[in-house]
Amino acid sequence: MASVSLADELNDAIEMMIAEPDSAPPTLSLQVREILGIAAQLRLLPDPSFRSRLKAELLGQSGSLSFADDEIRRREKEEISAEHAGRVEEVLPILFGAGDGTYSIRPGNFAISAAVHCALVALIALGGLWATKQPRLTSHTSAVLLTATSAYPLPVAVNKSGGGGGGGDKDKLAASNGKLPRFAGEQVTSPMIVVRNEHPKLSAEPTVVGPPALPSLSTPEVGDPLSAILNQPSNGTGAGGGVGSGSGGAIGSGFGPGVGSGYGGGTGGGVYRVGGGVSAPREIYAPDPDYSEEARRAKYQGTVLLSLIVDQDGAPRDVRIARSLGMGLDEKAVSAVKRWKFEPSRKDGRPVAVRVNIEVSFRLY
Amino acid sequence: MKALEKDHTTSDEQLQVSAAQQNPARFAELYENNFDRVYGYIARRVRSREDAQDLTSEVFRQALAGLPRFEWRGLPFIAWLLGIAGHLLSDRWKQAAKQQEVVTDDLEQIGIEDGVERRAMLSQIVETLPNDQRRVVILRFVRQMSLSEIAADLGRSEGAIKQLQLRALQSLRQRIRSNHG
Repeated sequence: MASVSLADELNDAIEMMIAEPDSAPPTLSLQVREILGIAAQLRLLPDPSFRSRLKAELLGQSGSLSFADDEIRRREKEEISAEHAGRVEEVLPILFGAGDGTYSIRPGNFAISAAVHCALVALIALGGLWATKQPRLTSHTSAVLLTATSAYPLPVAVNKSGGGGGGGDKDKLAASNGKLPRFAGEQVTSPMIVVRNEHPKLSAEPTVVGPPALPSLSTPEVGDPLSAILNQPSNGTGAGGGVGSGSGGAIGSGFGPGVGSGYGGGTGGGVYRVGGGVSAPREIYAPDPDYSEEARRAKYQGTVLLSLIVDQDGAPRDVRIARSLGMGLDEKAVSAVKRWKFEPSRKDGRPVAVRVNIEVSFRLY
Repeated sequence: MKALEKDHTTSDEQLQVSAAQQNPARFAELYENNFDRVYGYIARRVRSREDAQDLTSEVFRQALAGLPRFEWRGLPFIAWLLGIAGHLLSDRWKQAAKQQEVVTDDLEQIGIEDGVERRAMLSQIVETLPNDQRRVVILRFVRQMSLSEIAADLGRSEGAIKQLQLRALQSLRQRIRSNHG
Protein backbone atom coordinates (compact mmCIF):
# COMPACT_ATOMS: atom_id res chain seq x y z
CA MET A 1 0.00 0.00 0.00
CA ALA A 2 2.91 2.25 0.84
CA SER A 3 4.26 1.41 -2.55
CA VAL A 4 1.03 2.47 -4.19
CA SER A 5 0.99 5.78 -2.46
CA LEU A 6 4.69 6.31 -3.33
CA ALA A 7 3.93 5.52 -6.98
CA ASP A 8 1.02 7.97 -6.93
CA GLU A 9 3.11 10.68 -5.30
CA LEU A 10 5.89 10.15 -7.81
CA ASN A 11 3.50 10.13 -10.76
CA ASP A 12 1.89 13.39 -9.61
CA ALA A 13 5.31 15.01 -9.34
CA ILE A 14 6.29 13.73 -12.78
CA GLU A 15 3.03 15.04 -14.25
CA MET A 16 3.79 18.46 -12.82
CA MET A 17 7.40 18.35 -13.98
CA ILE A 18 6.36 17.50 -17.54
CA ALA A 19 3.60 20.11 -17.61
CA GLU A 20 5.62 22.91 -16.00
CA PRO A 21 9.33 22.15 -16.17
CA ASP A 22 10.42 25.50 -14.73
CA SER A 23 8.12 25.51 -11.71
CA ALA A 24 9.37 24.73 -8.23
CA PRO A 25 8.69 21.15 -7.14
CA PRO A 26 6.06 20.70 -4.41
CA THR A 27 6.92 19.39 -1.01
CA LEU A 28 7.88 15.77 -1.55
CA SER A 29 9.15 12.90 0.46
CA LEU A 30 12.87 12.20 0.41
CA GLN A 31 12.47 9.05 -1.68
CA VAL A 32 10.42 10.83 -4.34
CA ARG A 33 12.82 13.80 -4.45
CA GLU A 34 15.73 11.49 -5.16
CA ILE A 35 14.15 9.61 -8.02
CA LEU A 36 12.45 12.74 -9.38
CA GLY A 37 15.93 14.12 -10.09
CA ILE A 38 16.61 11.07 -12.21
CA ALA A 39 13.26 11.52 -13.93
CA ALA A 40 14.22 15.10 -14.77
CA GLN A 41 17.36 13.86 -16.48
CA LEU A 42 15.40 11.20 -18.34
CA ARG A 43 13.29 13.90 -19.90
CA LEU A 44 16.24 14.93 -22.06
CA LEU A 45 17.33 11.45 -23.06
CA PRO A 46 17.65 11.15 -26.80
CA ASP A 47 15.05 9.38 -28.78
CA PRO A 48 16.32 5.82 -29.35
CA SER A 49 15.70 6.22 -33.03
CA PHE A 50 17.72 9.44 -33.13
CA ARG A 51 20.93 7.71 -32.28
CA SER A 52 20.59 5.09 -34.99
CA ARG A 53 19.23 7.61 -37.47
CA LEU A 54 22.19 9.93 -36.97
CA LYS A 55 24.59 7.05 -37.27
CA ALA A 56 23.09 6.01 -40.57
CA GLU A 57 23.21 9.57 -41.75
CA LEU A 58 26.88 9.91 -40.84
CA LEU A 59 27.75 6.64 -42.51
CA GLY A 60 26.00 7.86 -45.62
CA GLN A 61 27.98 11.07 -45.44
CA SER A 62 31.23 9.20 -44.94
CA GLY A 63 30.56 7.23 -48.10
CA SER A 64 30.86 10.39 -50.12
CA LEU A 65 34.03 11.37 -48.35
CA SER A 66 37.48 10.24 -49.23
CA PHE A 67 40.20 11.04 -46.83
CA ALA A 68 42.74 9.24 -48.92
CA ASP A 69 43.86 12.31 -50.86
CA ASP A 70 43.86 14.44 -47.75
CA GLU A 71 45.80 11.80 -45.90
CA ILE A 72 48.35 11.50 -48.70
CA ARG A 73 48.79 15.24 -48.74
CA ARG A 74 49.12 15.31 -44.96
CA ARG A 75 51.71 12.59 -44.97
CA GLU A 76 53.64 14.28 -47.77
CA LYS A 77 53.61 17.44 -45.74
CA GLU A 78 54.89 15.57 -42.70
CA GLU A 79 57.62 13.93 -44.76
CA ILE A 80 58.68 17.29 -46.19
CA SER A 81 58.75 18.77 -42.72
CA ALA A 82 60.82 15.87 -41.43
CA GLU A 83 63.19 16.15 -44.37
CA HIS A 84 63.50 19.88 -43.84
CA ALA A 85 64.21 19.32 -40.15
CA GLY A 86 66.88 16.80 -41.09
CA ARG A 87 68.53 19.26 -43.46
CA VAL A 88 68.47 21.99 -40.86
CA GLU A 89 70.03 19.60 -38.40
CA GLU A 90 72.81 18.88 -40.87
CA VAL A 91 73.45 22.54 -41.51
CA LEU A 92 73.23 23.73 -37.93
CA PRO A 93 74.00 20.73 -35.73
CA ILE A 94 74.95 22.99 -32.83
CA LEU A 95 71.50 24.53 -32.81
CA PHE A 96 69.23 21.72 -33.98
CA GLY A 97 71.30 18.60 -33.40
CA ALA A 98 71.14 16.22 -30.49
CA GLY A 99 74.52 17.19 -29.10
CA ASP A 100 77.48 15.02 -28.29
CA GLY A 101 75.78 13.30 -25.42
CA THR A 102 77.66 15.03 -22.63
CA TYR A 103 75.80 18.29 -22.82
CA SER A 104 72.37 18.87 -24.25
CA ILE A 105 71.82 21.42 -26.96
CA ARG A 106 70.43 24.70 -25.68
CA PRO A 107 69.08 26.78 -28.54
CA GLY A 108 68.60 29.70 -26.15
CA ASN A 109 72.35 29.96 -25.62
CA PHE A 110 72.86 29.90 -29.36
CA ALA A 111 70.34 32.72 -29.77
CA ILE A 112 72.06 34.82 -27.09
CA SER A 113 75.45 34.25 -28.68
CA ALA A 114 74.10 35.18 -32.10
CA ALA A 115 72.52 38.34 -30.71
CA VAL A 116 75.76 39.39 -28.99
CA HIS A 117 77.75 38.81 -32.18
CA CYS A 118 75.26 40.78 -34.23
CA ALA A 119 75.44 43.63 -31.72
CA LEU A 120 79.24 43.66 -31.89
CA VAL A 121 79.26 43.67 -35.67
CA ALA A 122 76.74 46.50 -35.69
CA LEU A 123 78.82 48.42 -33.16
CA ILE A 124 81.95 48.09 -35.27
CA ALA A 125 80.12 49.10 -38.43
CA LEU A 126 78.48 52.09 -36.79
CA GLY A 127 81.77 53.07 -35.17
CA GLY A 128 83.42 53.10 -38.59
CA LEU A 129 80.64 55.24 -39.99
CA TRP A 130 80.90 57.62 -37.05
CA ALA A 131 84.65 57.91 -37.48
CA THR A 132 84.34 58.67 -41.17
CA LYS A 133 81.72 61.29 -40.49
CA GLN A 134 83.87 63.01 -37.85
CA PRO A 135 87.43 62.95 -39.20
CA ARG A 136 90.25 64.00 -36.98
CA LEU A 137 91.75 67.17 -38.41
CA THR A 138 95.46 67.04 -38.88
CA SER A 139 97.48 70.16 -39.10
CA HIS A 140 99.84 70.78 -41.93
CA THR A 141 102.19 73.68 -42.10
CA SER A 142 104.68 74.75 -44.68
CA ALA A 143 107.03 77.64 -45.07
CA VAL A 144 108.23 78.92 -48.39
CA LEU A 145 111.12 81.22 -49.00
CA LEU A 146 109.52 83.41 -51.57
CA THR A 147 112.68 84.79 -53.14
CA ALA A 148 113.87 81.30 -53.79
CA THR A 149 110.72 80.44 -55.68
CA SER A 150 110.78 81.55 -59.25
CA ALA A 151 107.01 81.30 -59.55
CA TYR A 152 106.37 83.80 -56.78
CA PRO A 153 104.96 87.06 -58.19
CA LEU A 154 107.29 89.50 -56.44
CA PRO A 155 109.73 90.68 -59.07
CA VAL A 156 113.38 90.40 -58.42
CA ALA A 157 115.19 93.73 -58.86
CA VAL A 158 117.36 94.03 -61.96
CA ASN A 159 119.40 97.21 -61.54
CA LYS A 160 119.00 98.21 -57.92
CA SER A 161 120.18 96.40 -54.91
CA GLY A 162 120.00 97.62 -51.35
CA GLY A 163 122.81 98.19 -48.96
CA GLY A 164 124.72 101.09 -47.61
CA GLY A 165 127.65 102.12 -45.59
CA GLY A 166 128.94 104.68 -43.21
CA GLY A 167 132.01 106.15 -41.73
CA GLY A 168 133.51 109.03 -39.84
CA ASP A 169 136.32 109.68 -37.43
CA LYS A 170 134.39 111.05 -34.46
CA ASP A 171 134.67 114.66 -35.58
CA LYS A 172 132.51 117.24 -33.87
CA LEU A 173 131.00 118.28 -37.15
CA ALA A 174 128.93 116.25 -39.48
CA ALA A 175 130.47 115.13 -42.72
CA SER A 176 130.93 117.84 -45.30
CA ASN A 177 129.46 117.81 -48.76
CA GLY A 178 131.35 116.30 -51.64
CA LYS A 179 131.36 113.72 -54.38
CA LEU A 180 131.36 109.99 -53.93
CA PRO A 181 134.53 108.11 -54.60
CA ARG A 182 134.65 105.47 -57.23
CA PHE A 183 132.53 102.36 -56.70
CA ALA A 184 134.48 99.17 -56.70
CA GLY A 185 133.87 95.56 -55.91
CA GLU A 186 136.33 95.68 -53.04
CA GLN A 187 137.43 98.52 -50.84
CA VAL A 188 141.13 98.98 -50.09
CA THR A 189 141.23 102.50 -48.72
CA SER A 190 138.39 104.39 -47.10
CA PRO A 191 137.49 107.81 -48.50
CA MET A 192 138.60 110.70 -46.28
CA ILE A 193 137.86 114.42 -46.39
CA VAL A 194 140.27 115.41 -43.65
CA VAL A 195 143.37 113.34 -44.23
CA ARG A 196 144.98 112.41 -40.94
CA ASN A 197 147.98 110.59 -42.38
CA GLU A 198 149.58 112.50 -45.17
CA HIS A 199 152.22 109.92 -45.91
CA PRO A 200 150.88 106.41 -45.79
CA LYS A 201 153.29 103.58 -46.43
CA LEU A 202 151.01 102.09 -49.00
CA SER A 203 148.71 104.36 -50.88
CA ALA A 204 145.62 103.30 -52.80
CA GLU A 205 142.68 104.97 -54.38
CA PRO A 206 139.85 105.42 -51.91
CA THR A 207 136.71 103.57 -53.06
CA VAL A 208 133.35 102.41 -51.75
CA VAL A 209 131.73 99.04 -52.37
CA GLY A 210 128.94 99.10 -54.87
CA PRO A 211 128.08 98.48 -58.49
CA PRO A 212 130.90 99.97 -60.59
CA ALA A 213 128.43 101.28 -63.13
CA LEU A 214 126.88 103.79 -60.74
CA PRO A 215 127.60 107.35 -61.86
CA SER A 216 129.50 109.68 -59.53
CA LEU A 217 128.56 113.26 -58.81
CA SER A 218 130.33 116.14 -60.43
CA THR A 219 131.44 117.69 -57.13
CA PRO A 220 135.24 118.07 -57.14
CA GLU A 221 135.81 117.10 -53.47
CA VAL A 222 135.10 113.74 -51.94
CA GLY A 223 132.37 113.85 -49.31
CA ASP A 224 128.82 113.06 -48.42
CA PRO A 225 126.63 114.18 -51.32
CA LEU A 226 123.67 114.68 -49.03
CA SER A 227 125.47 116.85 -46.48
CA ALA A 228 124.57 120.55 -46.12
CA ILE A 229 128.02 121.47 -44.86
CA LEU A 230 129.91 122.95 -47.78
CA ASN A 231 132.99 124.87 -46.70
CA GLN A 232 133.98 123.17 -43.44
CA PRO A 233 135.79 119.91 -44.13
CA SER A 234 134.90 117.09 -41.74
CA ASN A 235 134.95 113.31 -41.85
CA GLY A 236 131.79 113.20 -39.75
CA THR A 237 130.84 111.95 -36.34
CA GLY A 238 130.98 108.27 -37.20
CA ALA A 239 133.77 105.81 -36.56
CA GLY A 240 135.98 103.37 -38.35
CA GLY A 241 137.23 105.67 -41.05
CA GLY A 242 135.42 107.03 -44.05
CA VAL A 243 132.87 109.80 -44.14
CA GLY A 244 129.58 110.18 -42.30
CA SER A 245 127.84 109.25 -39.09
CA GLY A 246 127.98 105.50 -39.47
CA SER A 247 130.80 103.06 -39.30
CA GLY A 248 132.63 100.80 -41.63
CA GLY A 249 135.02 103.00 -43.57
CA ALA A 250 132.68 104.24 -46.28
CA ILE A 251 130.20 107.06 -46.69
CA GLY A 252 126.84 107.58 -44.99
CA SER A 253 124.99 106.84 -41.82
CA GLY A 254 124.99 103.11 -42.23
CA PHE A 255 127.40 100.35 -41.50
CA GLY A 256 129.77 98.81 -43.92
CA PRO A 257 131.78 99.73 -47.01
CA GLY A 258 128.97 101.15 -49.12
CA VAL A 259 127.08 104.40 -49.33
CA GLY A 260 123.89 105.32 -47.53
CA SER A 261 121.95 104.41 -44.47
CA GLY A 262 122.10 100.65 -44.83
CA TYR A 263 124.84 98.27 -44.22
CA GLY A 264 126.88 95.63 -45.97
CA GLY A 265 127.97 97.66 -48.97
CA GLY A 266 126.10 99.04 -51.94
CA THR A 267 123.81 102.04 -52.05
CA GLY A 268 120.20 102.99 -51.48
CA GLY A 269 119.80 102.16 -47.83
CA GLY A 270 118.76 98.94 -46.14
CA VAL A 271 120.18 95.57 -46.90
CA TYR A 272 120.76 93.94 -50.24
CA ARG A 273 117.81 92.51 -52.06
CA VAL A 274 117.92 89.57 -54.33
CA GLY A 275 118.71 90.62 -57.87
CA GLY A 276 121.23 92.88 -59.49
CA GLY A 277 123.96 90.33 -58.97
CA VAL A 278 122.77 89.31 -55.49
CA SER A 279 121.85 85.64 -55.32
CA ALA A 280 118.95 84.31 -53.25
CA PRO A 281 119.70 82.62 -49.97
CA ARG A 282 118.86 78.90 -49.78
CA GLU A 283 117.40 77.29 -46.72
CA ILE A 284 119.47 74.49 -45.24
CA TYR A 285 117.48 73.73 -42.13
CA ALA A 286 113.81 74.71 -42.20
CA PRO A 287 111.65 73.07 -39.53
CA ASP A 288 107.88 73.50 -39.98
CA PRO A 289 106.08 75.63 -37.44
CA ASP A 290 103.70 74.16 -34.91
CA TYR A 291 99.95 74.73 -35.09
CA SER A 292 98.53 76.77 -32.26
CA GLU A 293 95.92 74.92 -30.17
CA GLU A 294 93.56 77.86 -30.35
CA ALA A 295 93.60 77.87 -34.14
CA ARG A 296 93.23 74.07 -34.28
CA ARG A 297 90.11 74.16 -32.09
CA ALA A 298 88.66 76.96 -34.23
CA LYS A 299 89.68 75.10 -37.41
CA TYR A 300 91.41 78.30 -38.45
CA GLN A 301 93.87 78.27 -41.28
CA GLY A 302 95.69 80.69 -43.51
CA THR A 303 99.09 82.10 -44.37
CA VAL A 304 101.52 84.34 -42.49
CA LEU A 305 103.95 86.45 -44.49
CA LEU A 306 107.25 87.14 -42.76
CA SER A 307 110.00 89.54 -43.76
CA LEU A 308 113.50 88.93 -42.47
CA ILE A 309 117.15 89.51 -43.14
CA VAL A 310 119.41 86.61 -43.84
CA ASP A 311 122.82 87.80 -42.75
CA GLN A 312 126.21 86.90 -44.12
CA ASP A 313 126.34 83.85 -41.85
CA GLY A 314 123.01 82.55 -43.08
CA ALA A 315 121.19 83.29 -39.83
CA PRO A 316 117.77 84.95 -39.80
CA ARG A 317 117.69 88.45 -38.36
CA ASP A 318 115.09 91.10 -37.83
CA VAL A 319 112.13 88.79 -38.44
CA ARG A 320 108.98 90.88 -38.93
CA ILE A 321 105.39 89.99 -39.63
CA ALA A 322 104.46 91.41 -43.00
CA ARG A 323 100.95 89.91 -43.10
CA SER A 324 99.41 88.74 -39.89
CA LEU A 325 97.05 85.74 -39.42
CA GLY A 326 96.32 85.80 -35.71
CA MET A 327 95.21 83.10 -33.29
CA GLY A 328 98.79 82.52 -32.24
CA LEU A 329 99.91 81.42 -35.68
CA ASP A 330 102.04 84.52 -36.23
CA GLU A 331 104.11 83.76 -33.15
CA LYS A 332 104.44 80.12 -34.18
CA ALA A 333 105.63 81.15 -37.62
CA VAL A 334 108.18 83.64 -36.25
CA SER A 335 109.42 81.10 -33.71
CA ALA A 336 109.94 78.47 -36.38
CA VAL A 337 111.62 80.73 -38.91
CA LYS A 338 114.03 82.06 -36.31
CA ARG A 339 115.42 78.54 -36.07
CA TRP A 340 116.06 78.29 -39.80
CA LYS A 341 119.55 78.13 -41.21
CA PHE A 342 120.44 79.46 -44.67
CA GLU A 343 123.19 79.34 -47.14
CA PRO A 344 123.71 83.14 -47.42
CA SER A 345 123.18 85.23 -50.49
CA ARG A 346 126.26 86.07 -52.47
CA LYS A 347 127.32 89.12 -54.39
CA ASP A 348 130.42 88.86 -56.49
CA GLY A 349 131.19 85.63 -54.70
CA ARG A 350 131.07 87.07 -51.22
CA PRO A 351 128.25 86.41 -48.72
CA VAL A 352 126.00 89.40 -48.16
CA ALA A 353 122.94 90.06 -46.03
CA VAL A 354 119.65 90.20 -47.88
CA ARG A 355 116.05 90.85 -46.94
CA VAL A 356 113.68 88.11 -48.02
CA ASN A 357 110.04 87.19 -47.49
CA ILE A 358 108.91 83.83 -46.24
CA GLU A 359 105.34 82.66 -46.55
CA VAL A 360 104.26 80.23 -43.81
CA SER A 361 101.04 78.32 -44.53
CA PHE A 362 98.87 76.70 -41.88
CA ARG A 363 96.35 74.15 -43.17
CA LEU A 364 93.90 71.68 -41.56
CA TYR A 365 92.61 68.74 -43.58
CA MET B 1 45.87 -0.53 -12.77
CA LYS B 2 43.50 2.30 -13.66
CA ALA B 3 46.30 4.18 -15.37
CA LEU B 4 47.15 1.06 -17.32
CA GLU B 5 43.55 0.71 -18.46
CA LYS B 6 43.45 4.34 -19.43
CA ASP B 7 46.62 3.99 -21.49
CA HIS B 8 45.16 0.94 -23.14
CA THR B 9 41.93 2.79 -23.93
CA THR B 10 43.85 5.75 -25.24
CA SER B 11 45.93 3.55 -27.44
CA ASP B 12 42.79 1.82 -28.80
CA GLU B 13 41.13 5.15 -29.40
CA GLN B 14 44.19 6.44 -31.18
CA LEU B 15 44.07 3.45 -33.47
CA GLN B 16 40.36 4.05 -34.08
CA VAL B 17 41.01 7.68 -34.97
CA SER B 18 43.84 6.70 -37.26
CA ALA B 19 41.63 4.08 -38.94
CA ALA B 20 38.78 6.57 -39.37
CA GLN B 21 41.17 9.11 -40.90
CA GLN B 22 42.08 6.56 -43.53
CA ASN B 23 38.57 5.16 -43.95
CA PRO B 24 35.61 7.42 -43.03
CA ALA B 25 33.37 4.38 -42.59
CA ARG B 26 35.36 3.55 -39.48
CA PHE B 27 34.03 6.74 -37.90
CA ALA B 28 31.07 4.69 -36.67
CA GLU B 29 33.16 3.22 -33.87
CA LEU B 30 34.14 6.64 -32.64
CA TYR B 31 30.50 7.71 -32.90
CA GLU B 32 29.23 4.83 -30.79
CA ASN B 33 31.90 5.30 -28.17
CA ASN B 34 31.32 9.01 -27.74
CA PHE B 35 27.64 9.61 -28.55
CA ASP B 36 26.31 9.45 -25.00
CA ARG B 37 28.91 11.80 -23.58
CA VAL B 38 28.49 14.33 -26.36
CA TYR B 39 24.72 14.21 -26.04
CA GLY B 40 24.89 14.37 -22.23
CA TYR B 41 27.20 17.37 -22.38
CA ILE B 42 24.85 19.21 -24.70
CA ALA B 43 21.62 18.12 -22.98
CA ARG B 44 22.84 19.54 -19.70
CA ARG B 45 23.15 22.96 -21.35
CA VAL B 46 20.01 23.23 -23.45
CA ARG B 47 16.33 23.34 -22.57
CA SER B 48 14.91 20.81 -24.93
CA ARG B 49 15.61 17.43 -26.43
CA GLU B 50 15.22 18.86 -29.91
CA ASP B 51 18.02 21.34 -29.32
CA ALA B 52 20.22 18.64 -27.82
CA GLN B 53 19.64 16.35 -30.78
CA ASP B 54 20.24 19.11 -33.34
CA LEU B 55 23.50 20.15 -31.75
CA THR B 56 24.66 16.57 -31.29
CA SER B 57 24.04 15.91 -34.97
CA GLU B 58 26.03 18.99 -35.90
CA VAL B 59 28.92 18.04 -33.63
CA PHE B 60 29.34 14.65 -35.30
CA ARG B 61 28.92 16.06 -38.79
CA GLN B 62 31.66 18.62 -38.17
CA ALA B 63 33.84 16.00 -36.53
CA LEU B 64 33.52 13.71 -39.53
CA ALA B 65 34.30 16.52 -41.95
CA GLY B 66 37.27 17.73 -39.91
CA LEU B 67 38.70 14.34 -39.03
CA PRO B 68 41.64 14.56 -41.53
CA ARG B 69 42.87 17.68 -39.72
CA PHE B 70 42.66 16.07 -36.29
CA GLU B 71 46.07 15.59 -34.68
CA TRP B 72 46.53 13.34 -31.72
CA ARG B 73 48.04 15.39 -28.91
CA GLY B 74 47.55 13.10 -25.97
CA LEU B 75 44.02 14.23 -25.13
CA PRO B 76 41.13 11.78 -25.58
CA PHE B 77 39.05 12.09 -28.72
CA ILE B 78 36.04 13.18 -26.66
CA ALA B 79 37.89 16.35 -25.69
CA TRP B 80 37.99 17.37 -29.34
CA LEU B 81 34.29 16.52 -29.78
CA LEU B 82 33.31 18.48 -26.68
CA GLY B 83 35.37 21.40 -27.96
CA ILE B 84 33.26 21.42 -31.11
CA ALA B 85 30.12 21.14 -28.98
CA GLY B 86 31.26 24.07 -26.84
CA HIS B 87 31.74 26.27 -29.89
CA LEU B 88 28.32 25.30 -31.26
CA LEU B 89 26.64 25.98 -27.95
CA SER B 90 28.35 29.33 -27.72
CA ASP B 91 27.17 30.24 -31.21
CA ARG B 92 23.67 29.12 -30.36
CA TRP B 93 23.58 31.23 -27.22
CA LYS B 94 24.93 34.24 -29.00
CA GLN B 95 22.18 33.93 -31.57
CA ALA B 96 19.61 33.60 -28.84
CA ALA B 97 21.09 36.57 -26.93
CA LYS B 98 21.44 34.35 -23.95
CA GLN B 99 25.11 34.18 -23.80
CA GLN B 100 26.55 32.07 -21.11
CA GLU B 101 30.14 31.47 -20.34
CA VAL B 102 31.37 28.16 -21.65
CA VAL B 103 34.87 27.02 -21.07
CA THR B 104 35.93 25.68 -24.42
CA ASP B 105 39.67 25.92 -24.20
CA ASP B 106 40.20 23.55 -21.32
CA LEU B 107 39.01 20.48 -23.10
CA GLU B 108 40.60 18.06 -20.75
CA GLN B 109 38.58 19.46 -17.87
CA ILE B 110 35.40 19.26 -19.92
CA GLY B 111 36.15 15.66 -20.79
CA ILE B 112 36.12 14.51 -17.19
CA GLU B 113 33.16 16.59 -16.10
CA ASP B 114 30.95 14.60 -13.73
CA GLY B 115 27.66 15.72 -15.26
CA VAL B 116 28.68 14.52 -18.69
CA GLU B 117 29.73 11.13 -17.44
CA ARG B 118 26.59 10.74 -15.31
CA ARG B 119 24.28 11.60 -18.19
CA ALA B 120 26.17 9.34 -20.51
CA MET B 121 25.94 6.58 -17.93
CA LEU B 122 22.23 7.20 -17.39
CA SER B 123 21.55 6.67 -21.04
CA GLN B 124 23.47 3.42 -20.98
CA ILE B 125 21.80 2.21 -17.79
CA VAL B 126 18.38 2.77 -19.27
CA GLU B 127 19.32 0.27 -21.93
CA THR B 128 19.97 -2.33 -19.24
CA LEU B 129 16.54 -2.05 -17.64
CA PRO B 130 14.06 -4.87 -18.09
CA ASN B 131 12.17 -4.51 -21.29
CA ASP B 132 8.83 -3.39 -19.82
CA GLN B 133 10.48 -0.85 -17.50
CA ARG B 134 12.66 0.46 -20.32
CA ARG B 135 9.65 0.88 -22.58
CA VAL B 136 7.75 2.76 -19.89
CA VAL B 137 10.74 5.08 -19.33
CA ILE B 138 11.11 5.77 -23.06
CA LEU B 139 7.39 6.36 -23.61
CA ARG B 140 6.94 8.38 -20.47
CA PHE B 141 10.04 10.60 -20.47
CA VAL B 142 11.32 10.59 -24.04
CA ARG B 143 8.01 10.50 -25.88
CA GLN B 144 6.29 12.24 -22.93
CA MET B 145 3.09 10.19 -23.23
CA SER B 146 0.47 10.15 -20.47
CA LEU B 147 -0.15 7.16 -18.27
CA SER B 148 -3.39 6.35 -20.07
CA GLU B 149 -1.69 6.49 -23.46
CA ILE B 150 1.09 4.19 -22.27
CA ALA B 151 -1.39 1.86 -20.67
CA ALA B 152 -3.35 1.66 -23.91
CA ASP B 153 -0.17 1.19 -25.93
CA LEU B 154 1.12 -1.59 -23.72
CA GLY B 155 -2.26 -3.13 -22.95
CA ARG B 156 -1.75 -2.66 -19.20
CA SER B 157 -3.65 -0.76 -16.52
CA GLU B 158 -2.59 2.71 -15.44
CA GLY B 159 -1.83 1.37 -11.99
CA ALA B 160 0.54 -1.19 -13.45
CA ILE B 161 2.26 1.51 -15.50
CA LYS B 162 2.64 3.61 -12.33
CA GLN B 163 4.31 0.68 -10.59
CA LEU B 164 6.57 0.02 -13.59
CA GLN B 165 7.51 3.71 -13.66
CA LEU B 166 8.37 3.65 -9.95
CA ARG B 167 10.38 0.45 -10.17
CA ALA B 168 12.27 1.69 -13.22
CA LEU B 169 13.33 4.91 -11.49
CA GLN B 170 14.27 3.07 -8.29
CA SER B 171 16.28 0.63 -10.32
CA LEU B 172 18.08 3.45 -12.13
CA ARG B 173 18.91 5.12 -8.81
CA GLN B 174 20.20 1.83 -7.46
CA ARG B 175 22.41 1.20 -10.48
CA ILE B 176 23.74 4.77 -10.54
CA ARG B 177 24.71 4.47 -6.90
CA SER B 178 26.39 1.12 -7.45
CA ASN B 179 28.32 2.55 -10.43
CA HIS B 180 29.46 5.58 -8.39
CA GLY B 181 30.22 3.51 -5.36
